[in-house]
Amino acid sequence: MAEPLLQVESLSKSFGGLKAVDDVSFRMEQKEVLGLIGPNGAGKTTLLRLITGILKPDRGSVRFKGKELVGRSIWNIVNLGVACTFQNMRPFRRMPIIANVMVSCLSPRSSTRGEWVKKIENKAMDALEFAGISDMALEKASVLSQGDLKRLEVARAIATDPELLLLDEPFGGLSPAETDLMAKSIRRLHKGGRFGRLHSEGPAMIIVEHKLHQLMKIVDRIIVLNFGTLLDEGTPEEVVNNPRVIEAYLGKGGD
Amino acid sequence: MDLVVYSLKKLYKIFRNEVLVLPSRVIVALFFIALLGLPLVTRDPYIIRIVILTSIFAIFAASWDLLSGFTGQMNFGHALFFGVGAYSSALINLHAHIPPWGSVPLGAIAAVLAGLIVGIPCLRLKHTYLALTTLAFPIILTGIIFALPDYTGGELGVSGITRFTNSLLGNYYLHVVTMLTLAVIMWKITDSNTGIIFHAIREDELAVKASGINTTFYKLLAFSLSGLFAGIAGGLYAHYMRIAGPSTLEVSMSFMVVIWAIFGGAATIYGPIAAVFILFPLLEFFRFWPEYRTMIFAAVVLVILLYMPEGIIHWIRDKIEKECPRCKIRNVATRKSCRICTADLD
Ligand SMILES: Nc1ncnc2c1ncn2[C@@H]1O[C@H](COP(=O)(O)OP(=O)(O)O)[C@@H](O)[C@H]1O
Ligand SMILES: [Mg+2]
Repeated sequence: MAEPLLQVESLSKSFGGLKAVDDVSFRMEQKEVLGLIGPNGAGKTTLLRLITGILKPDRGSVRFKGKELVGRSIWNIVNLGVACTFQNMRPFRRMPIIANVMVSCLSPRSSTRGEWVKKIENKAMDALEFAGISDMALEKASVLSQGDLKRLEVARAIATDPELLLLDEPFGGLSPAETDLMAKSIRRLHKGGRFGRLHSEGPAMIIVEHKLHQLMKIVDRIIVLNFGTLLDEGTPEEVVNNPRVIEAYLGKGGD
Repeated sequence: MDLVVYSLKKLYKIFRNEVLVLPSRVIVALFFIALLGLPLVTRDPYIIRIVILTSIFAIFAASWDLLSGFTGQMNFGHALFFGVGAYSSALINLHAHIPPWGSVPLGAIAAVLAGLIVGIPCLRLKHTYLALTTLAFPIILTGIIFALPDYTGGELGVSGITRFTNSLLGNYYLHVVTMLTLAVIMWKITDSNTGIIFHAIREDELAVKASGINTTFYKLLAFSLSGLFAGIAGGLYAHYMRIAGPSTLEVSMSFMVVIWAIFGGAATIYGPIAAVFILFPLLEFFRFWPEYRTMIFAAVVLVILLYMPEGIIHWIRDKIEKECPRCKIRNVATRKSCRICTADLD
């Protein structure tokens, strides 16, 4: 079998006595879009943070294209091609929006991968355009609404030109109209192609989301976490019809 | 001849279009002209001396801003770099008989090393812990200096070192031109891509890492650059005063630089420089009433910090200029429409 893009094996992380992520294993293929669902506090964010190196696991391994990620620094992992967004947005508030994205464009990965783009401003602008907030490029990030901050997160992540993109609740706090827009952007990104001077190979993605009906339209496969352990794994239809998943959710979050 | 006229016309045009359009740029131009032209007006040794010392401390204040103002790594022991620069260049000058042209850059390199020595343990520290740790370094070095009086001169310091030149004007232009040059270099650094990363580190270090940037490298770069410029200031000071003493490492030196930077406006480079040019001569001026000196000084600083939290320079700039809401270009406050995009300014 071909080497998977991402292979997570017996990954565990405890906070004090709380097992936030408990012996989780799964794998992902190239270009796959994976949904990650589970009730609040199930450990979804923690799992993403373990993959991107923000948190160090107690046990287990994360292999990306055959390379072990555990033990590497965050920026190293990003430069290997794994980018993430923050669930509760972390913009550089007092900096202009375009400068927020320029930071990503200055990463070694981004700067070697668009060598023909002379000005990083242009590249940053294209990422903003893709995310749909280019008209506010010169404003300070502190003026952005919740929805636009989510877009800024996406723009920053795709500016590093990832092969695997981890999106933590990209629709969180968005209005239905904004959700549709964001879903459209994500699908467009996954299809790949040229967006101005930005080139997307169509990264694989892990999307954490509560809005299941939106998520189901985007993802190939869903994995379900509950109390830190893997509860189920399968196609969207299989997962939402699994009685154990319905029970774990108890109607909460899903619709 | 035509060429000369043409070039002059072109220069004038650049000056008119780039400098005269904004009051803040006019002020900067006037500041350069005033400093360079001062000896035409007065050669009073007392005034020349104050301007030289002011220039040295301006470099020192800007170097603090480069590190702490921009990357947010609060350094409350910045005197360390000044002192290391002063002592190293003094000792090199005295023992190796290297003239100031060589000893000052060597002293600055020693200060870069000091920057790394402080920077590495501080990589993992934040806020109060960082502040306390940095505060400790110059105190530790002072202890070492007192413990080794045979090498360091103990309380008396290292004296008998040579000056760059003994000419009044030579010294004046050396220090003023060095200060202006280094100020432009520091401003250019902060205005570059590196400056964007420094700024972002101050805002949210984790998010910078998640953008794929090696923050350890950039933080150490900030510590080294800051050490370099502060070290140059220290070396210049030692050679101008002809002594490198423990006063260069005093806690008050470290605090003074923080006050200057915040007074003028942190993360601007020009703010701290302007602040030194306002506060240092003012402090000299108050020397005539020694009993009130510190009190008046403290009162001035407090008023500024209370009413102009972003620093006096920002406050003034916002009075004389306004930003175009559309294209974010600055305009003279009297204009009704933006000079670039013609959007309404009110
Ligand atoms: N840094 C932390 N320190 C202590 N507990 C944490 C930390 N981060 C998460 N937790 C706990 O771990 C559990 C899983 O959290 P999280 O991964 O954020 O869940 P989810 O994203 O699925 O809602 C929660 O009970 C949360 O309180
Ligand atoms: Mg979460």
